[in-house]
Amino acid sequence: MAPSSRTIGISIQNTSDSNMSISTELTATLARVIDLFQFPFMQRALLGGILTGLMGGLLGSFTILRQLSFFSDALGHSALLGISLAVLLGLNPALVVLPFAVLFGLGVTYLLEKTQLWTDALLNIIYSSSLALAVITLSFVGQYKGGLNNLLFGDILAVREIDLWLSGLLLLGCILFIGLTLRTQMLLTLNEPMAKARGVAVSAQRSAFIVLLSLVVAVSIKAIGVLLVSAFVVIPACASQLLCQKFTHHLLLSAALGALSAVFGMLLSAVFNLPSGPSIVVVQVTMFLGAAILPHFRATV
Amino acid sequence: MRETVLAVERLSVHRGAYEAVQEVSFSLEAGTDLAIVGPNGAGKSTLIQAILGILPCQSGHVAVLGASLSRAGKLPPAVRQQIAYLPQSFSFDRRIPMTVAELVGLGWDQLGLQLPWAGRRARGRAIRQALAQVDAISLIDQSVGGLSGGETKRVLLAYCLVRPRRLLILDEAPAGLDVRSESDFYQLLSDLKQEQGWAILQVSHDLEMVRRNCDRVVCLNRRLLCQGIPEVALSLESLTTAYGSEFAHYRHQHSEH
Repeated sequence: MAPSSRTIGISIQNTSDSNMSISTELTATLARVIDLFQFPFMQRALLGGILTGLMGGLLGSFTILRQLSFFSDALGHSALLGISLAVLLGLNPALVVLPFAVLFGLGVTYLLEKTQLWTDALLNIIYSSSLALAVITLSFVGQYKGGLNNLLFGDILAVREIDLWLSGLLLLGCILFIGLTLRTQMLLTLNEPMAKARGVAVSAQRSAFIVLLSLVVAVSIKAIGVLLVSAFVVIPACASQLLCQKFTHHLLLSAALGALSAVFGMLLSAVFNLPSGPSIVVVQVTMFLGAAILPHFRATV
Repeated sequence: MRETVLAVERLSVHRGAYEAVQEVSFSLEAGTDLAIVGPNGAGKSTLIQAILGILPCQSGHVAVLGASLSRAGKLPPAVRQQIAYLPQSFSFDRRIPMTVAELVGLGWDQLGLQLPWAGRRARGRAIRQALAQVDAISLIDQSVGGLSGGETKRVLLAYCLVRPRRLLILDEAPAGLDVRSESDFYQLLSDLKQEQGWAILQVSHDLEMVRRNCDRVVCLNRRLLCQGIPEVALSLESLTTAYGSEFAHYRHQHSEH
């Protein structure tokens, strides 16, 4: 499938001129990329990517360790139902997807606590049914002017100032929540009964984390799309897990890799004229592979 | 007269429809220890989990340092901070990136809202002291995922010791320790009790250990069968007379260890 998300209009100059040296060509490309990042929409996209990467990395570290990776994926797909309902009812999808995501997160938490089902099985049921309902709903909409591809793959270049404010506030919320309850979250991740014995309100803490994660996924959908949003949460955290022994290092590296992958992904997208969201994911996967190989490389040196 | 640290009155606990603990009463004073013994399925761990507020109590009353445990298992934070708990089985995902120092430090933290770097120096000092107490200072920078069963037990004991407490609750704590570590472990408990006035409540299957080391014993088999000093509560005559052949057989099996 050829994604129709807006791509950056830079192409490498035809190198048919054999006299042109490689270094000159690189300099020219670099100059074009620098010029491109003078545009406000590119600056917004870059900042949006960094904010999303930081949020995803920060919450992603706890998400993978609590084995909630599939939750972020399921939420991303299920959000399509919220978006399609908003389109059908003529509402702003961005306003509908946030409360939808929070309700989804709380609903899943409730069902997990009240049923004896396995997490991945329950999530599969919810995610498949949401997706089915979303497709049926979209069939009533006809032509969605926002474009289905933009929903599926995102459009980071369409990030507006208000989106940046929203992401910034949410990042601040994530930093405050994780920062001020770090030890509680660590103990909860390590062993729930020991956290309960220390008087931790396990259910409330779990719900608070899920609500925050749901909001991060919902806010990130515009830039990355429903299909790739979970990559921002899962991949940098997994790469960091492979490299760190200390929990705090894992947390910080995960957030840093999230932000770095956004920067390098945007550059990759600019240089090779590739779709932005998938380019960032490609950089994340490259980082993950590097993290997987690095310990073996160290061992053999 | 010693202060009562833990008071349990007519406590009943259900596991689903099953009444796992029936109207159990006992108390534990500062600077003393009490062992809960009984066969498998007697409700020993259930009783401990109810006292800690992990499982809800159906009826009865639990008070720690004079503060009542609510039906929802809540205690005032200042009282909760005085309790340390070492569970029977400590299962965790060994892939979690966490060092021994980080785990032990979790025992020092208050777990409310706090800045991650609050009390950094005092915290670091307390972590090193606690690990030295359990002879595990060499493990300080190791990943918890790579610890053996015995090392994990010692590190968890350091997690309990890292801050002064009033009540230590151990659920079959020495299981997995070698003979020397076990002997050190009981010496450490004795020091905590006598020098620092800790009250210690422990579940044990090792009746000979209980006879040697504990001040008082509670025999449990869903309901309280007997309690008192080990010589009285664990005498063969007493067990056979009061609890029949089943319990005497149990005692026989476990005193062989």
